[in-house]
Amino acid sequence: MNLDYLKFDIRRTLRNRRVVIFAILMPLVLFAIFGLTIPKDASQSGISAIAYVMVSMAIFGSMSAAMSSGGIIAAERDGGWNRTLRLTPLKPQAYVVSKVILSLLLAIPPLVVVFLFGMTAGHVSLSASQWISVALVSWLGALPFAAIGLVIGYVAKPDSVQPITGLSTMLIAAFGGLWLPVDSMPSVMKHIAQLTPAYWTGQSSRSALSQSGLDTHAVLVVLGWTVVLGFIALRRYRADTARA
Amino acid sequence: MTTTTAVTLNGVTKRYGDVQAVAGVDLTIRSGEVVAMLGPNGAGKSTTIEMLLGLVRPDQGSVQVYGSSPAEAIATGKVGAMLQSGGIIEDAKVGELMNLVAGLHKEPMPVAEALDRAGIADLVGRKIKGLSGGQKQRVRFAMAIIPQPDLIVLDEPTTGMDVESRRDFWASMHAETARGRTVLFATHYLEEADAYADRVVLMRNGKVVADGTAAQIKAGVSGRTIRATVPGADLAALAALPGVRNVETRGDVVLLQCANSDDTLRHLLNNTPAHDIEVTSADLEDAVLAISDAEEESLA
Repeated sequence: MNLDYLKFDIRRTLRNRRVVIFAILMPLVLFAIFGLTIPKDASQSGISAIAYVMVSMAIFGSMSAAMSSGGIIAAERDGGWNRTLRLTPLKPQAYVVSKVILSLLLAIPPLVVVFLFGMTAGHVSLSASQWISVALVSWLGALPFAAIGLVIGYVAKPDSVQPITGLSTMLIAAFGGLWLPVDSMPSVMKHIAQLTPAYWTGQSSRSALSQSGLDTHAVLVVLGWTVVLGFIALRRYRADTARA
Repeated sequence: MTTTTAVTLNGVTKRYGDVQAVAGVDLTIRSGEVVAMLGPNGAGKSTTIEMLLGLVRPDQGSVQVYGSSPAEAIATGKVGAMLQSGGIIEDAKVGELMNLVAGLHKEPMPVAEALDRAGIADLVGRKIKGLSGGQKQRVRFAMAIIPQPDLIVLDEPTTGMDVESRRDFWASMHAETARGRTVLFATHYLEEADAYADRVVLMRNGKVVADGTAAQIKAGVSGRTIRATVPGADLAALAALPGVRNVETRGDVVLLQCANSDDTLRHLLNNTPAHDIEVTSADLEDAVLAISDAEEESLA
């Protein structure tokens, strides 16, 4: 881990606001369309329907923000920056860790903004501990997407990284049940949804609000995805640096 | 002055597909030397440098930098390098990038000092994207010296610079060598090798074909030319003089190409009525061409 590197990346990302703003605006707009139109007393899968949509949209935002670190990695690879880094004492693992932390930091603003919007405009009422646990679980649920960002960063070229990230975000969100609850779709859609990490991040976050408590099965699947994708990212990373 | 060895390349080779980029290079660089690696594009200079820096693994042979692997030497901040192109983050500001690089090294010099030495203190707040090629090269140079390295490796540092920025660049570089740093730079500009290096390593087709001071390389190949007015010169006698390779005449003016001009000169002065004598050395370019031609023939 190198703090200077993290600071540098954060500054760079803040200057290039488009990605962050997009990751905040998209879920807000969708929340306004799908969430604010729901009747107050409607419920979905055991929690209030509007809270359900709020969590989905917050995760959609944090997911696209977390995956956007791939753009930075692809750009750094393309410009030969990796070679420059190899001429410094920076350890390869430190680079990867620093990018994962960047992803997790980028995932925070969409979560905070969507939750605040839900609290105010959407009148979602939760206890303080519920807010904290849903925020924490949603945040850590961004881990597999941070890993996807790494993989994309190591596979894509800088000019293809944005469409690739955009498309995968859309597909994962749509098929993972973040845009429309899978319970209201044909059962085949639920089976498909369960093949995406987004479904499990959604499940675990929403379970933080339900009576039955945290869905440990969902949390474990999220962790499993993180491990598998992290492993793929590490392999891509090795292949990329070992080129010799 | 220490006599430690900075770099040792031993029988290093590297092949890319059908191309033998480096075909067995032995090279030892002692601490404090300023070495120019000279050769045309495709001679194997960059690949040799990449192996020296541990960016590319040699197929055969060994590379040692200050007695350890390149990676270890880099990890301890002993080596600073400037690669040919790229390697900087375009959407960062100069100051940000330098702060980052300083933060990655163990004992960096202050960023302000590195910028100052590279002559770009005024660019600190500028985005790299908007800089000229020469200015970017200076940013790379600042990045190379910031770890306070013992050895600086530069791969064609002045490519894309105009004459003036090249001169300025070498002035900055000279200040570093005056501090006793060991320097290896690749170039295809003969003037640079001639003017700034203690030692020139000439590469061709992946091999070192000549190695010595610029003066030695020039002399070793085409020697010097003596131009003198010799009334009634006996060409055959002149051609038979010690150290003379070739004789030409233009009226009373005789041109003698000599391997050892001192001996020829002594003889001319003592034994002939020669006057208006000039001795000129062939320039490095002639030498390089001659060596390269010889190399080409030996391959054919």
